[in-house]
Amino acid sequence: MIQLHNVSMSYQPESTALTDINLKIPKGDFVFLTGQSGAGKSTLLKLIYADLLPTRGQVLIDGSNVTRLTRSQIPLLRRSIGVVFQDYKLLPNRTVLENVAITLEVLGWGKRDIGKKVYHILKRMGLEDKVNCTPLRLSGGEQQRVALARALVNDPKILVADEPTGNLDDENKEQILSIFKEANIRGTTVVVATHDRRVIENSHRKVIRLDKGRIVEVADAQG
Amino acid sequence: MPKGNKVKAAVRPKLEQEGFFGRLSYFTCRAIANLRQNVFVSVVTVGTVALALLIASLFLLVYVNLEGMAEGWSDKVQVTAYFDREPEPLAVAALKGRVKAIAGTSKVVFVGQAEAEQRLRSRLKGQESLLEGVSPEVLPASLEISLDRRHRDTEAVAAYVKNLKQIQGITEVQYGEEWVKRFNSFMNLFRIMGALLGGFLTIAVLFIVSNTIKLTIYARKDELELLGLVGATRFFIKAPFLIEGVLQGAAGAVISLLALLGCYFAFLKNAGDFLGVNPASAGLSFLPATHLAGIVLGGVLLGFIGSATSLKRFINV
Repeated sequence: MIQLHNVSMSYQPESTALTDINLKIPKGDFVFLTGQSGAGKSTLLKLIYADLLPTRGQVLIDGSNVTRLTRSQIPLLRRSIGVVFQDYKLLPNRTVLENVAITLEVLGWGKRDIGKKVYHILKRMGLEDKVNCTPLRLSGGEQQRVALARALVNDPKILVADEPTGNLDDENKEQILSIFKEANIRGTTVVVATHDRRVIENSHRKVIRLDKGRIVEVADAQG
Repeated sequence: MPKGNKVKAAVRPKLEQEGFFGRLSYFTCRAIANLRQNVFVSVVTVGTVALALLIASLFLLVYVNLEGMAEGWSDKVQVTAYFDREPEPLAVAALKGRVKAIAGTSKVVFVGQAEAEQRLRSRLKGQESLLEGVSPEVLPASLEISLDRRHRDTEAVAAYVKNLKQIQGITEVQYGEEWVKRFNSFMNLFRIMGALLGGFLTIAVLFIVSNTIKLTIYARKDELELLGLVGATRFFIKAPFLIEGVLQGAAGAVISLLALLGCYFAFLKNAGDFLGVNPASAGLSFLPATHLAGIVLGGVLLGFIGSATSLKRFINV
């Protein structure tokens, strides 16, 4: 599902964010990317959802070579990838329903279908009574779940999440992780970037450790 | 699309945005919803467009009225052709016909010797003693000719007079050469000043409006970024913003015209007190319909172009 061949990425000529990355994540896998701040986790995720293009190497997503996509093809690729951003990226002047509906509006869904689908996913996230609230009136955990709902509402093939549990308490972390697992059971390939050791240890999933832009360890799922 | 590198779009149920009208309806609804959700920013944009267009249309109103007044003065450009002796009544019609045949003639009036004497007498009312012993034969018969608007400049009048002098029986032609020259110089200066001021004003309006729109779009750059990241195409992201720009521009233009109308009537009502002249009787008019339509179209274009150029900066899809 996700393949990186000899990928290097530098923002500036003198410093590289990723060096010679080779990686294969099969369809339906659940992978944690870990490493210290600045290790290159976010950059790797951005390469997956084509927010960045590699300086060198090839990135293949679901059979498409991202480096060869035209500008008009990139949106089509992104529609099959759900992204949970570190800062949530919720629109403060839109309601929870409208924030989640964006993903389906982009696909051209009708209003009625959007309403049904959004309500269904918000119910799964335990947010059905927050439909008409704006994000600023929600707690951190609730905002994170809205961001997750937006990423999952169109049943994407791939879900990537950047530090999704960063600012959450243990209860919320558990809730978010169970949503990831549920999505994975439904067939979505999940890639989560985190530096939270407890989350990784409790999940028993494949772990890819990055350090200074290189893969230094790949640990298979345990338990 | 490169061979073997096809991107499969996510499966979707019933589409709402199919067809031109479906898409237009969706994007218009989205634009109106965006205006509602960003009331303050929208009000600022509409207000700026309205104020900028009000200043421009006030200038246009003053310019149109001054030009109208100047055109009125140009009606005074009149050519008088004198005869050495009064033509026979039958010959007058033929002479008038020949004069009318010259390009640029608008109106021809024959003034016989008797009428010329009568006019002189009425002008010297109260001093009739000056005219004692003056008989109508002393004053020459003449043709008073008005020229159409295109033949009132210095060169055209001179060419016209040259043609006129070729008509038999006309001995002298007078047309206030100096006055025509001065008037035309004034009109040229007036038009150059108008074009310069209008040009500067247009640039200022474009600058102010495009920067305001740029700021409002900058305030929503997160929304633009997010739409791109969830798979929206450039067109999908841009369309509602462009419609918003058009709606804001049109609203600004209509508000500016209403304010202009208010200023116009307030001026008509109160100007008599401080100008000493009644502006209504001076023939002060409001902008013609074509100009009004032009201002609304200008507002729409300002909104559209301002949004389009600003969006370019913030969309990275």
